[in-house]
Amino acid sequence: MSTFGTRTWNPGTLPSNDNVNPYAFSVDLNGQWFAQKGKMIAYYGQIKFEALSAGPLDSLVAHTFNSPLYAQDWIVAQGQGKLLLADRGYDVNSFDLDNGNLTVRAGNLLAFEPGLELKQSIIPGFLTLIGTGRFVAASNGPVHFVEPPIRVDPQALLGWADCPSPCHHYDHSYMRGAFGAARMVFGIGGQSGEEHQFDFTGQGTVLMQSSEAVMNEDTLLRDLEGQIGLVGTSGLQRLQNTINQRLSAERQG
Amino acid sequence: MPGYQSINAKMLQVPIGPGQEVYSKRGAMLAYAGPVSFAPTATAGQGLGGTLGRAVAGERTAMMHVTGQGSVLFGQSGMDVTVIDLNGADTLYVEADRLLVHDASLQVGTMFMGEQGGVRGIVRGAVTGQGLFTSTLTGHGSCALLSHGGVMELPIGPQRPVHVDPQAYVAHRGQVQNKLTTAVGLRDLVGRGSGEAFQLELSGTGVVYIQASERKI
Repeated sequence: MSTFGTRTWNPGTLPSNDNVNPYAFSVDLNGQWFAQKGKMIAYYGQIKFEALSAGPLDSLVAHTFNSPLYAQDWIVAQGQGKLLLADRGYDVNSFDLDNGNLTVRAGNLLAFEPGLELKQSIIPGFLTLIGTGRFVAASNGPVHFVEPPIRVDPQALLGWADCPSPCHHYDHSYMRGAFGAARMVFGIGGQSGEEHQFDFTGQGTVLMQSSEAVMNEDTLLRDLEGQIGLVGTSGLQRLQNTINQRLSAERQG
Repeated sequence: MPGYQSINAKMLQVPIGPGQEVYSKRGAMLAYAGPVSFAPTATAGQGLGGTLGRAVAGERTAMMHVTGQGSVLFGQSGMDVTVIDLNGADTLYVEADRLLVHDASLQVGTMFMGEQGGVRGIVRGAVTGQGLFTSTLTGHGSCALLSHGGVMELPIGPQRPVHVDPQAYVAHRGQVQNKLTTAVGLRDLVGRGSGEAFQLELSGTGVVYIQASERKI
């Protein structure tokens, strides 16, 4: 122990597949792990980091990484040693899946074992892990587990396990009645800021965090781009009009 | 009546029911179970006078009225949440934007800083960026405050005034006078100050809550 109570670690004393402290996780690497770019803070041993596009990884990626949208955010760490992961000083936790499925916010997933298959969730900005293995995720404050039925603020949602995908819930009940009508007409009071939630029903577990300060705009953008393929020519033209209108409004503002 | 329950340092669970309604900061709801509704409110339980005071003061943190039957989780931006129970004996003074949630049974008011400390009070608001008005809470009930890294309680006694950094100040309660003390020396004028030229002196009898950070909301 040093003077200030922080321990000095070496490759032998670093925990094996466990937390070093609430904010850092040590992976005992012996083979391959998928890791999100920029989440590795240090490593011991012979570890190589390769982009998913690297040729020899083709079959691995084909088997376990089914999300071209996020491929450029991820790397494969391979070799032997201790790999330290951390993210923005968030609380880091590892979870084991045993033939299960869990969906987690894309930006908060740090790393996972190739025993798990990664897929994009129906809900934009979330990734689903299916299979057996371990993964590491970060949360703003400790993770809080709740059971459905529950409605969750989109920003506070970290992920969910074993339950059906959520649906959107919009709450405008305060617009009813005499006061509500007055609000509607005069625009007094405005929005409660809580009209929109994700509604979970069925069996399973919902994972929550204290809300994120800002949404990752980059992820959102790429999700939008990913969905452009779903609209036809007329849809594209309409989108173009909308975007042009927004742009000219922004320029004037 | 079950009270506020801390889930962890950054999350708070609040039961909602008939006679157990709360006002909360807009956008601070994390999740809820049961038929609970959120209505924007311009008055935040202060009545029209208080609202005007707030509007003039610029102390207009948007609040919402939470009613129904169920339980709600509150939290914001990963800030720490501290619950303070009021038993009707004394008044809690707190910056409006630090007030995460409070019982509807509490009386909310706005206090002009000039009432305490005169011109110095005004200077204090201007210097610290805390504004000239502070929210006051009285009555029986609970409230929860936001801070960076949690709050510490420092007791204030008649013989024991407490000096705090205005940026670390979160709230105070009791019979407390506050005034801004300055220690501006020549060094400050030439830009070589210690960075601690202004302190808030709290004297009287009560408690001051401070955070171990100089970050605002």
